[in-house]
Amino acid sequence: MILSELGHFALILSLFFAGMLSVVPMVGSYTNNQRWMGSAPTLAVGMFVFTLIAYAILTYGFVTDDFSLSYVANHSNSLLPLHYKVTAVWGGHEGSFLLWVLMFTLWTLGVALFSQGIPTLMLARVLSVLGLVACGFYLFMLWVSDPFLSLLPFFPVDGQDLNPLLQDFGMIIHPPMLYMGYVGFAVAFSFAIAALLSGKLDSAWARWSRPWALAAWGFLTVGLALGSWWAYYELGWGGWWFWDPSENAALMPWLAGTALIHSLAITEKRKIFKSWTVLLAICAFSLSLLGTFLIRSGVLVSVHTFASDPSRGLFILGMLVVVIGSSLLLYALRASSLKVEGRYGLISREVMLFGNNVLLSVSTLVVLVGTLLPLVHQQLGRGAISVGEPFFNQMFTLLIVPFALLVGIGPLTRWKSQAPAYLLRQMLYAGTIALAAALLLVLPQSHVSYLALLGFFLAFWVLVNTVEEVRLRVGKPFNTGKLTQLSLSHWGMVLGHIGFAILLTGIAMVSNYGVEKDVKLSPGESVELSGYRFAFEGVKGITGPNYRGNQGRIIVYRDNQKITELLPEKRQYNVQKSVMTEAGIDSNLWRDLFVALGEPLGENQWAVRIYYKPLVVWIWLGAAIMALGALCSICDKRYRVRADNKRAADIAHQATPSPALNKG
Amino acid sequence: MPTSKIVPLGLFLLLAILLFNGLFSDPAHRDSPFIGREVPTFNLPDLMDREIKYQASTFNNHYTLLNVWGTWCLTCKVELPYLTRLSESGVRIVGLYYEQDSDPMFKSQTLPQVQADVTQTLIQLGNPFEFNIYDEYRDLSFDLGVTGAPESFLIDPNGVIVAHHVGDINDRVWQSVFAPHFLTNTSNRGD
Repeated sequence: MILSELGHFALILSLFFAGMLSVVPMVGSYTNNQRWMGSAPTLAVGMFVFTLIAYAILTYGFVTDDFSLSYVANHSNSLLPLHYKVTAVWGGHEGSFLLWVLMFTLWTLGVALFSQGIPTLMLARVLSVLGLVACGFYLFMLWVSDPFLSLLPFFPVDGQDLNPLLQDFGMIIHPPMLYMGYVGFAVAFSFAIAALLSGKLDSAWARWSRPWALAAWGFLTVGLALGSWWAYYELGWGGWWFWDPSENAALMPWLAGTALIHSLAITEKRKIFKSWTVLLAICAFSLSLLGTFLIRSGVLVSVHTFASDPSRGLFILGMLVVVIGSSLLLYALRASSLKVEGRYGLISREVMLFGNNVLLSVSTLVVLVGTLLPLVHQQLGRGAISVGEPFFNQMFTLLIVPFALLVGIGPLTRWKSQAPAYLLRQMLYAGTIALAAALLLVLPQSHVSYLALLGFFLAFWVLVNTVEEVRLRVGKPFNTGKLTQLSLSHWGMVLGHIGFAILLTGIAMVSNYGVEKDVKLSPGESVELSGYRFAFEGVKGITGPNYRGNQGRIIVYRDNQKITELLPEKRQYNVQKSVMTEAGIDSNLWRDLFVALGEPLGENQWAVRIYYKPLVVWIWLGAAIMALGALCSICDKRYRVRADNKRAADIAHQATPSPALNKG
Repeated sequence: MPTSKIVPLGLFLLLAILLFNGLFSDPAHRDSPFIGREVPTFNLPDLMDREIKYQASTFNNHYTLLNVWGTWCLTCKVELPYLTRLSESGVRIVGLYYEQDSDPMFKSQTLPQVQADVTQTLIQLGNPFEFNIYDEYRDLSFDLGVTGAPESFLIDPNGVIVAHHVGDINDRVWQSVFAPHFLTNTSNRGD
């Protein structure tokens, strides 16, 4: 049997299910046909199963070295180790898009399976919107991005091999996590669209979509952190964020998503900012799609860019216009009917949250503008430019100050109205402690960096205020048993904010007190850096399954005590003829020692780049804690809508017919 | 319908138009005012050895691809492997290197740091360059009207610029912008 035909067949069947899903439940919801509406979950399962089959077929092609498939021939090689053959499935454009669609159907399946408490009408529309978006994805694959393109009758004996950059553990888990986050925002998006369609933008839709948005945000957080970690140790440049277009493409939905999860919280609790929340839900997913466009169309060039191909770009752009354009049109038509219900004073948690959402939206815009500026510049006939790190770094340094101040003080502020006196006292208290702690951290350093001082101050500010908030909620007298009384979603917020403080500390420390040194070393020589002595023992040749290379041996001493042995490598991959640096890293909570092997300078002498990176791990640790916070919130029991609530919800839903039904 | 709710849609449509144009605008076909002109005079050092100086005469007697780049420019890194293959197939490529404007907030790099950076990058991604001209004060790139990196100029054996491309060079760009000049070149020699 030929894999290519089987794969195509599975994709066509998936498209069929997606098409049915986009039409049948939607029509059913307008004609009040219960059976049609009830078919949605089954169709979602069908869509998922056939996509999974298509994905399995492609994986099988990789594992069995079926080079008659063009995609396998271009991204694998018989010498590639088995685990990389399995992950090579998402090593290129077509396969990674198939993975992306698989994730999408997985989310759809999740909604179909875990939504017992949601009224049938709403669920039918949500799944139908997801099905419609999926149709676009399948057409894209079948039309311009075919992972099962056959090379028969003439196919190569062996493949082109996987890009060595991608032959790495970080690459095994980074894209799936990132894609889970990217497409996860589709769920919140579909809830928003379904709510707009029904005209019932009550707080219920916010409650239903909140765990989904949180889950997507958590995955995206982990995906971004993994990507940053991977770039740090694999690219050998020692940096953890490069403001590369593809990083920006993932950062934009993350920023919008962060605003979304906060906005959903306000809408759920206080029934306000409804249209703002709907817009953010649309934006988060739209920015995911836009990111896909930017990376896969070749409009912008980056280290991640897949082959430039205008026809693909055109298709994705068409899809963007249909999906985003129609959602925003729907928003323009429907959101205006929203009435503001809640009242709140100038000093209230509502205003604080709103302020932070504005700041997050502005930072999203900054990233968007910075990413697209080269394109605008080019179209004005002024040539291509690279917008560099300085622009983004400056903008984010400016934006993070008010943001962090609000993150600290926001949760301490009451809903509706807050007496300024208490807040001022608390700000003075937290400000003093934070300033003292920041000074304690900065003064022992080699020099005083005001940016680092600012960063530490903001981090401690968030930390002190967050701890105070927990103390306040637990009440007096304080005892640890009371901590369990706080709801899981409250702990989610606490973890999210503490994670942010840790991330900020790591960034402030490593950006201002990281040290790097380029040295020439011969065996037996050593070099001092930040109190560590790096002794170069020499370089030996090594041979891997699909590469040859050199491995250096560097022993690190502190106070003449041996601390660790670093083995940086330089590999030459046989098939693609490319050279890769594998850094030698010794990592602990307080600092990373990072050694990258440069080039041979003759007579056993080598250029070696040595970094001392204090607290760099805190960046990823902070992100992990933030993601843990999201997990905590999802597990809150109030999101597990029980089945017996459903009947009540159904009845309530029918009792107040939607404006759409009235019009019909 | 209050106008404020249409704003997102309007902004998005503008963005869509921009992206659409971006897909089809091929910066390679933009007329460059520098085509047909001689390379401006200059006297600049080698990036790796300040003792060596280059003048415009270095472009005489060869077809040379002058590639403006910097290690800070990601796009430049992307095109390095392709340029390396070009140079292996016999195209003479010379680099015009400049550092990004040093920003007061960020410590500017010293020359040895720049050199180490360049060596590291070239070892990792391939070295297409016969040598690199170090344009420390951006004199030559200014005279050439360079707006960013990467940009490339094809200079004929008489020192005249015959092609100019803004953006990265890939196979498509090479075939459409630069390769035709080599074809006419060989046919002329045939005459």
